[in-house]
Formats: sequence, structure tokens, C-alpha cells
Amino acid sequence: MAAGGVHQLAQCITCHAWNADLSMVAVCPNNNEVHIYQASPSPTSAWECIHVLQKHDQLVSGIDWAPMSNKIVTSSHDRNSYVWTLEGNEWQPTLVILRLNRAAISVDWSPRENKFAVGSGAMSVCVCYYEEDNNWWVSKLIRKKHHSTVTSVAWHPNNVLLATTSTDCRCRVFSAYVKGVDARRDATTAFGDIKFGEQLIELDLACGWAFGCHWSPSGNSLAFVGHDSTIHFVSDVGPTPRAHSLSLRHLPLRDVLFLSETRLVAGGFDCNPMLFEIDQNGVWYTTTFSVETCISIFEYSLYVFAAAKGRFKWLGNEVAELNLPSTTHENCILTIAPVISLVEKKAEKPVTCFSTSGMDGRIVVWDMNNLGDVMARLRL
Amino acid sequence: MEFWLPANGAVDFQAQVLSCNSSSSSSIHLGFHVLHCLWHLSNMANTLRPYLTCIRNTLTAAMCLQNFPCQEVERHNKPEVEFKTSRELLLNPILICRNEAEKCLIEASINSLRISIKVKQADELENILAKKFLRFLSMRAESFQVLRRKPVQGYDISFLITNYHCEEMSKHKLIDFVVTFMEDIDKEISELKLSVNTRGRLVATEFLRQFT
Repeated sequence: MAAGGVHQLAQCITCHAWNADLSMVAVCPNNNEVHIYQASPSPTSAWECIHVLQKHDQLVSGIDWAPMSNKIVTSSHDRNSYVWTLEGNEWQPTLVILRLNRAAISVDWSPRENKFAVGSGAMSVCVCYYEEDNNWWVSKLIRKKHHSTVTSVAWHPNNVLLATTSTDCRCRVFSAYVKGVDARRDATTAFGDIKFGEQLIELDLACGWAFGCHWSPSGNSLAFVGHDSTIHFVSDVGPTPRAHSLSLRHLPLRDVLFLSETRLVAGGFDCNPMLFEIDQNGVWYTTTFSVETCISIFEYSLYVFAAAKGRFKWLGNEVAELNLPSTTHENCILTIAPVISLVEKKAEKPVTCFSTSGMDGRIVVWDMNNLGDVMARLRL
Repeated sequence: MEFWLPANGAVDFQAQVLSCNSSSSSSIHLGFHVLHCLWHLSNMANTLRPYLTCIRNTLTAAMCLQNFPCQEVERHNKPEVEFKTSRELLLNPILICRNEAEKCLIEASINSLRISIKVKQADELENILAKKFLRFLSMRAESFQVLRRKPVQGYDISFLITNYHCEEMSKHKLIDFVVTFMEDIDKEISELKLSVNTRGRLVATEFLRQFT
């Protein structure tokens, strides 16, 4: 896996999102602003800041860009959310009254873009939809189901089911069917007829805080990570789901993204995206930990020699720890976003390109077409 | 959780680590790294090295911090490890002991990490020197950024590392700082002790010379 382009945009990036034709990216540089860059996934492109959206008064925690309607939704620690629409050459904000009394943590557009969900520190989830009569976004709350902050929200492709992860170590699936917004037939899913806010599944798999849930393109599987260095895969999401967990020997992961039904990428405190794949028996396993962490034999022997020498004269200073071969990211990865245009997405092509941003203020575009021979053998 | 590191390294650490894993579900990944460094223990003669390696590896695992707004108070963002308002946001504290007198307490939470150190004090002179020296440092906590103004009760000096420090500084440099600090503090105090003794001897010699 090769890093396509590396773009140092700020000191720390909390979140980022791409637009429909991959010509622009919205970035929060760890403050109350959202910067929109003229961008391109190609490795050589230079990115240029073209808009600055200033309306929030605390850290922006989540950005999502709706590809079809070209609207941006942002959530912030100031308890508010804004929906931004491009009018002429200006982004116009519309305040969304979330009715929250704590910070908003994450935001996600529903696949049909008529609703969006906001996870919050008030231990609740807001499902917002547009009301044309009053020309505003109305928020409906899912209350009293979480016991701690909701760290991420993800929509099922059917536009009705909503998965959430929370710092109470659980991942839950809710119905977010809103009467009058969703068609009547949408209420009938694998779970039978469902009402708004009904909790359908509660997954108690992780022993640490849960983060970053994501659905597979078909909606059959769900993945999320735990802060105890685990990743959990749930298949056949329905009345009888099957779960499969992997414990890793690395530092905890922070975010996941399904590339296709059979592949998934995850990133976190090890600063390196990890690739997971499913085998014929439906068991997930790690395929690579990105090429860069494999130290060359030469470097490794040098390290072993230095360590042995250090042990020999143990009275001296501690041997300099193996200075990790520099990874493309130098600090924790916080967000992984798919880099796929709307046209390709509609053609149901697998995601071959994704971008990561993290606490080192970099956005890295990873291109899966650009693989080493180890990767070339893998099927998508 | 509590780890004792005896000098000869012949105790079944694995059993201890595993037992704490079963009792403390939320910090399994901490246990793993600790286990990894305890493995080194058996083939090292010096006891300071494994002690510091153990701390270094535990810090590497524990320093996975992120921005997290307070869920108790509106529009606040504060180190959870200090306020301890939500129990689920704290990890189990880890105590790493070299011996009775030297230990290190690592308390982690979702957005902050507190490291408290007890420095070796063999006699009264070392006790006074350590107290004075660490007080001198604590008074200048601003210039150290990660130093806490007041140590946690029962310890000599405490560091408070928040997600903001992790955003500004690189993680391994922060860990290096703490470990180097621990390495140097013993040296510093022994040196101070030596110079106090030398000076004492000089003064005594000068004083007694008048009687000859």
C-alpha cells in the first residue's frame, strides 16, 4: 500500500470529508473553523484553501459532505450543528437546533441525504430531518439508551438502521425510521416493523471504549473497534447476528472503513492503516500492517547489535529505543474517509482509494491500485 | 493493578499480569505491553533498566489520548483523570514498583494521563534533598508544561499529560522526557548528597583546625 499524496494542512486535523467529484475536501484544523480546500486525490496535486466556514464557536468534531445534494453538515463541541449549502460562490449556514445540552461528537448523512444523525456527549443521538413547511431541520432524539458519550454514528444503506458506538463499550443498532420522511415500506426491515428509536441490537463485545462503527456496502456486516486493541465484525445483522472479534498486539484502533464486502481498513494510535480481509469461511484476519513498518533486515540487525551492546555495558545510558521507521502519519489517525466519486459509488464499484487524517495535521491519500506484489494477490 | 519488580526477576510475573487482566477488563492492552517488558527482566543484571523499560512500555500503551469534551458540565473540556466524574472514562491505575521506596503510579483516562513518581530516599539527607529539589521544579511547573504543580498524595512528583500535549508534541519524545527525568533524578540527588557531604567535611575540617 503506497501513500499517494501527503498534505500537511494544520497542526492537527479532527475530521475531513470529500465532495462528490473529489475536487474539494472539507477539513477542520483543530479549531472552530472548517477549511475547504481545492483538492485532488492525485499524488502530485497541490491543495489550496478556497473557503473558510466560520460559525461554530468551539472545536468542530465532525464533518460530512452529502454527495448528491452537495450539502455539508458540521457538528461541534458548542452543541450545535450547521448545514451548509453552496449558493453562488458562498457557503450559507443553516443552524440546526439539536436540543442537546452537551457537545456534539460525530455526524453522518443518511444514504438518501434526507436525514442526518449526530452523536453527542449528552448520551443521546439526534436524528435530524428537513421540514419544508418551516424551512428548518428538526431533531428527534434517541434518549436513555446509551450510558456514556456516543462516539460515532453510521447509517445502514437502507436509510433506516443506525449504528452507534459509545464509551460505555457497547455498539448498538437503532431504528431511525421517521414517519413522513421515510416511505412506509422502509419501516419493514429484517427486524420486522420498527418504530423510531427502538434499540434492535446491543453488542457487548469490546472491553474498552468503542469507536468508529461502519457498515459494509450491502449492509450485511458491521465493524467497530474497541480501545482494548480489538476490532469486531458483526455479520448477518438481523435478529440473529454473528460476531467475530480480533485482538491485536498493536495500540488501539480509532476508525474503520469498509472498502468492499471482503476488505476493510482501520487506523489508530499506531499511525498506520491496517488492512483486514475475510477468507472463504467468513473469518476476518489482518493482511498487512502497511508496508512501512516492516523494518529492513539491515536496520533490524543494526538495532539488535545496538541493543546487545547496550546490554553489555548496562551501566551506561539506556539504549536509544528503536526509533520507529517513520510512518507516513506521525501521530494518531482519527478519521478514515473513502475517496470515491458519486459516479463510481452509484456503479457499486469497490473503494480503491481512501484518505486518512490525524493528530499530526496531515491528510494522506492511499491508493490501493498502487500496491506492492503482496497486495496484488489479494482479491477485492 | 500492582507490579513488583524484584532484582533477581524470579517471580512468576505472568500469573500476576494475567490475574490483573481478568479483573481489569478495560486495560487489557496495557497488560500486554507490561508483560512484554517484564519478559526482559530475567536476563538483565541492572534493576533500573527493566524498571524504566517497564514504565516506558506502559506509557506507550497508556498514552492513547484524544480530545474528549466533558459529559457532566456543558461546554467544558477538562482532564478526566483529575476530576474523575465519569467512572467509565478511567482506566485501571497501574502501579510499577522497583522496591518499597521507589514506585511509579500511572493513571490513564480517555483524554489525560497522570504519572506520579516516588523517588528513592535512603536517609534523612536524601529525603530533604529530594523534597527541596522537587519543590524547586514544581514551582516552575509552567516551563515544563507537563509537570503538575502539586504531586499526588503519597508521591514526590506528578506529571499530567493531556491530549493537547500529545497534539503539540510527539509521543515518544514525551515518554523520553519522563523516562530521562526518572533516570536523572536519582543521579542528581546522589550528586547533591555527595557535594553536601564534601562541603560538610570541609567545614568540619576548617572548624576543627582552630583547636590544633
